[in-house]
Amino acid sequence: MLSLSSLLSKASSLIDPNILPPSLLNQVNGSSPDGQTPAVLFRSNFRLPDSENPLAVIPCELSLPTGEHYFGRLHLSESFLCFSSTAPSSTSGASSSSPSSSSSATAGPPSCGFTLPLVAIRRVERLHSRSYLFALAVTTWHNDQKLTLQFNSLRSTCEKFCEALKKNLRSQMSEMKNLRMLVGSCYSEWLVSGGKTKDGMKEEPDAGLGMVWRYPGDAKKLRDRSKMRLWAEYLRENGRNITLIRQPTFHKLIRVGLPNRLRGEIWELTSGSLYRRLFNPTLYTDTLTEFSGRHSLSIDEIEKDLNRSLPEYPGFQSEEGIGRLRRVLSAYSWRNPDVGYCQAMNIVVAALLIYMSETQAFFLLSTLCDRLVPGYYSQTMYGTLLDQRVFESLVEKTMPILWEHLVKSDVQLSVVSLPWFLSLFINSMPLVFAFRVLDVFFLEGPKVLFQVGLAILRINGEELLDVTDDGAFISILKNYFLRLDESAHPRSDNEKLRAVTRFQELMVVAFREFSGITEQTITDQRQKHKDGVLSSIESFAKRTTLRNLGPESKRLSTNDLGYIYDRFYKVLYERQERLAAIEAERERLSDKKIMSSARSISEKSMNEKGRVGLGPSSQLMDYDYFREFLAGIAKWAIADTPSQLQTPNMSNSLDAQWGNGRKKSINLNPWGDNAEPADHEFMHRLFRRWDTDFRSGLSLQDVVAGLAGIKGKKDIMESISYFFELYDDDGDGKVDREGILRISEALLFITRRGWETPLGIGDQSRGPEGRTTDPFLNSVSGFIRRCFEYADPDHASKQETNTGVEGMDELVDLLDLASDDDDDGDGDATPKSPVKEKKPPAAAKDGADEASDADHDNGNNTRPSAMSANAALDPANPLHITLPTFRMVVLADEVLEYFFESGFADSIALSTDGPKTPGGRSVSSSSFPFGNSTPAAGIAGAKGLRGVLDNIVNDGLRVAQEVRRRMDEAQKELERNAVPGKYKDEEDEEGGDGDGDAKSIMEQDRDLLKGAEASVVDEAAKDLVVKPKTAVVREGMVDVDTDADGDADGIVVSAPESPTFSMATTKIGDGPESPTSSIATRVEFDAS
Amino acid sequence: MSEGGPKPSSSVKLVLLGEAAVGKSSLVLRFVNDDFQENREPTIGAAFLTQKCNLPNRTIKFEIWDTAGQERFASLAPMYYRNAQSALVVYDLTKVSSLAKAKHWVAELQRQASPGIVIALVGNKLDLTAQSTGLESSMGGLSLSSATAGDNDDDDDEEEDARQISTAEAKAYAEEEGLLFFETSAKTGHNVQEVFTAIANAIPESTLKTRGGPGSGRAGAGGASGETFGGSGGVNLSAAGETHKDGCAC
Repeated sequence: MLSLSSLLSKASSLIDPNILPPSLLNQVNGSSPDGQTPAVLFRSNFRLPDSENPLAVIPCELSLPTGEHYFGRLHLSESFLCFSSTAPSSTSGASSSSPSSSSSATAGPPSCGFTLPLVAIRRVERLHSRSYLFALAVTTWHNDQKLTLQFNSLRSTCEKFCEALKKNLRSQMSEMKNLRMLVGSCYSEWLVSGGKTKDGMKEEPDAGLGMVWRYPGDAKKLRDRSKMRLWAEYLRENGRNITLIRQPTFHKLIRVGLPNRLRGEIWELTSGSLYRRLFNPTLYTDTLTEFSGRHSLSIDEIEKDLNRSLPEYPGFQSEEGIGRLRRVLSAYSWRNPDVGYCQAMNIVVAALLIYMSETQAFFLLSTLCDRLVPGYYSQTMYGTLLDQRVFESLVEKTMPILWEHLVKSDVQLSVVSLPWFLSLFINSMPLVFAFRVLDVFFLEGPKVLFQVGLAILRINGEELLDVTDDGAFISILKNYFLRLDESAHPRSDNEKLRAVTRFQELMVVAFREFSGITEQTITDQRQKHKDGVLSSIESFAKRTTLRNLGPESKRLSTNDLGYIYDRFYKVLYERQERLAAIEAERERLSDKKIMSSARSISEKSMNEKGRVGLGPSSQLMDYDYFREFLAGIAKWAIADTPSQLQTPNMSNSLDAQWGNGRKKSINLNPWGDNAEPADHEFMHRLFRRWDTDFRSGLSLQDVVAGLAGIKGKKDIMESISYFFELYDDDGDGKVDREGILRISEALLFITRRGWETPLGIGDQSRGPEGRTTDPFLNSVSGFIRRCFEYADPDHASKQETNTGVEGMDELVDLLDLASDDDDDGDGDATPKSPVKEKKPPAAAKDGADEASDADHDNGNNTRPSAMSANAALDPANPLHITLPTFRMVVLADEVLEYFFESGFADSIALSTDGPKTPGGRSVSSSSFPFGNSTPAAGIAGAKGLRGVLDNIVNDGLRVAQEVRRRMDEAQKELERNAVPGKYKDEEDEEGGDGDGDAKSIMEQDRDLLKGAEASVVDEAAKDLVVKPKTAVVREGMVDVDTDADGDADGIVVSAPESPTFSMATTKIGDGPESPTSSIATRVEFDAS
Repeated sequence: MSEGGPKPSSSVKLVLLGEAAVGKSSLVLRFVNDDFQENREPTIGAAFLTQKCNLPNRTIKFEIWDTAGQERFASLAPMYYRNAQSALVVYDLTKVSSLAKAKHWVAELQRQASPGIVIALVGNKLDLTAQSTGLESSMGGLSLSSATAGDNDDDDDEEEDARQISTAEAKAYAEEEGLLFFETSAKTGHNVQEVFTAIANAIPESTLKTRGGPGSGRAGAGGASGETFGGSGGVNLSAAGETHKDGCAC
């Protein structure tokens, strides 16, 4: 699609608005209510390739060498000159006696016209006629033909048209080689030249398998010879293949049935697939070469059906016939993998191959699938179902009595008519008659299928009214088809009437009685029913998809699955559409002259994609889709600080462009109106874990299985293992030091926006809404500490004392102090509720014993454990934790325990939880717990408040990073025995770094951070950092916001008011002998 | 048509579902015409046929909807199984994926089709398995386990067993879901009549809508039997569907 739309916009860039008359210009700017743009109409009128656009149009009189004159309009596109007459004018309407020649003025195609590729024009001369007339003489490829075009317009308009024509003629010169090839392959050349080897043509062009295995039907009875003579005459006079001029006789000749050897070529010509072949002369053979030997599902499916395509026709009992069929179907399936192969295509292509070469059939098949019967053979077959719906509504309209009868008898019409349409009657009627229908179908378009279908019902109406079940209904029609060659009026006295066959009767009824069914009717009706049909396909697709999602899906509720399904496709299609829009816009901006028509076209094609019912495009989510998907269901996956990718210029100009009309404006932000998703290592890990097939993309099944793994079972053990495995990169059951730190980062990342905890867990400084952030930070730091305490060394050998034992001891002291402080801090903050007593019953389950044990150990932090924690700091001693350790550590902390028990799962909100992201970007402010904690929050604007809160969140994350950095540093310090003074420089450097990667951090926050950073000695001291910081913000928030400039003092001053903060500083200050104590000392400076 | 037999006659709508090329149409052709064609055109949309089945106490006239098997036609299926009282879900004994597809259809029918629909699970192409040569069905499991070994000496082993789905496996599934279960060969005709007779017997009396007495004018309808609607009729015009009349009984 992308390539198509880019092609379109490129093509339309050539449109010069100046030469379009104002009326048409207006049309171009808007699309008609049915969604058909003038460009689309133009292309379908003249059967042009999708790359063509109406560039100029001029009223004109056409004079043919045969003497006829027609008034009409002359159109110019990039590579075509087209004419259609407006009224059946001065021609002598020589009518044939055939009963089927009833091209009424309303229904029939324009009585005269041509579609002339510019490359087929040899010469254009300006005629010297009377001064006020402007006339051109056009000599076409076939020398014998000279057309006179007399323009009826203002001189300046005429001149502009000629200018444009000249320009385009020149640009088409390069196609000359293709033209020669194409003409050489046309049977009409052979026919007109009488089989002589005139243009170096040595052998008869390929006119299908019929040349070898005979054409269906009795050639004599079909009067093939006389038809051929008539055609030869017509082609001589009116040009052939690419230069052919359609006069009324042309239509009549087609209505009586094409002669066998010309049939393929005329199909190609009238359907317009000839022009596709002209411009892509090697596409077919190239495709075959490129994909030779490759396999796909479609190829397998094709292979299954090769022996079952028109098996009665001798050509398809031969290897040659089967081979051609295989090649055409495969080539198409490669060229259009979205369609691939659909049963019924084999029958249609087999029928085509009787009359045309492989290449011709290939292009005609594309024309069929793209234009004539769009969506018929797609994955969802929505076109088929849609046309059935249209057919039903036409039956209801034109034959209300029959329709009522069908409804009353509960006969479903489409069970009868669907195969008619899907196989273009080839599978329903005897072949000879089906081909007659096809003759007109390619000339006049899909309406023919409806007209013939309606006529069949009309003719059999009486009988059909007598039956009440599908079976009888079907057999009536079946018998009718088998007797199409019989006389329609066998008992008539009139011999002429008796000679009329049932098939002739059918054609007359179809094209005379149902002449009111026009292409426009079909377009309107399709438009009308499209939504309904697509919705029903989608609900069916959803139902079956959900049922077939595999065993994992059973762990989620039906509602949840439905929600995931909707969400998955919403993200998939919205994003595809958005990216296409951005792409189109980018191209548009790159060329200022592009007109809006291109946009409306590309928009249309975009809309064509965005539904499940239309069949799949890509069904996989890459990482960016995945991020967007997650952001919709988990608030932690929303970015804190939207990046400023969007250039205001671009969106402004777009708004201006789109604002002037009915078009809904499309947000050019890569994330659309949705919140920008975060990008965190944790999300990468999730993505990799869910991507079970290593396709770098997630299918719906992957997503469901992935979510089922998290939300499926609320068993804490499973959830803990899941998390652990996410970080066990090599699957050896061990997570190393790096992994532990990453886990703690992820924990902070997920909970940075707060999460729900039940009352009574870790509530020392909980906000009124029962959300917690700081206790979690607490727990995470505890988690890190315990992980290192209980980690196993990778090597059995104990740590060598290559670093100073003294220093180690001192560090251990510090650790002890820190952990003591931790306990004390808890006690102080929540004096009446020690942690252990507040365990909810849920936590008292399996993990309770372990947990309390761990707590106990923790409380009496003894030397040995401190020693191991010490070792943890030494990169020279790689260590790891195993799942049991991890589990134990998690269960040791009730906040973490709760997190794994349900908090993590609940952080992803599916259907039952209701939409958690009401206003896109405003998520963080609306869901953060400070809303009514202080009256001042109301005073501070939402944005200011959010800014602060976001920064707190950032700080939380940064603290985790700091913890790591500090640890490394402390280690380095120990190793190098560096002088304390060195810290200062590094500190400053880091501050600068921090600014770099989180630009939104305000000045005062950085000061705050500095204070916090500085107090971090190692990971064990983290509690000390966290508590003061958050406390500061909680209480100091008012100051921050009322202090318009965000003066750092506001915070620092308030900081000491927090009891924990002062406690922390005191404690650290107590141990100045430690090598790292210089930092602690400095903190006091910063803070006061 | 059994003349004079005043046995109540009722029609039963039956739908065939299953993966492409498992032999749905062939089963129907065998049942209706007692015929077999090697290369049948794939069914487009669906084909409709009728056939009678004489039970001791009544006559069942099957109105058979034979659907297209290709995956993308699945969305058309509801149109055909609407109001169906019975269904044949067919899989190919030699193709593992076809049983999975069959299970999907069973699930779809159980949830979306009329309640009380009689479903028969049919494993077709028995002629391609070793069992067709007279081996006991208990061999099914064994032959599956030895399938890999068998593959190696394909060339010299003429009587290769292509079976991929053991009788036991499919049967267990059928029992679990409460389905009738058969293994058939449309090619040899093995077990084909039995399937339809079993379905006829399984249709509860209460759900049968009795038609007017026998011979009530709709002979034309019967004429459709033996020809797939919308099928063939193409080049070979002489193959008119007049060969079989209502009378063909089981």
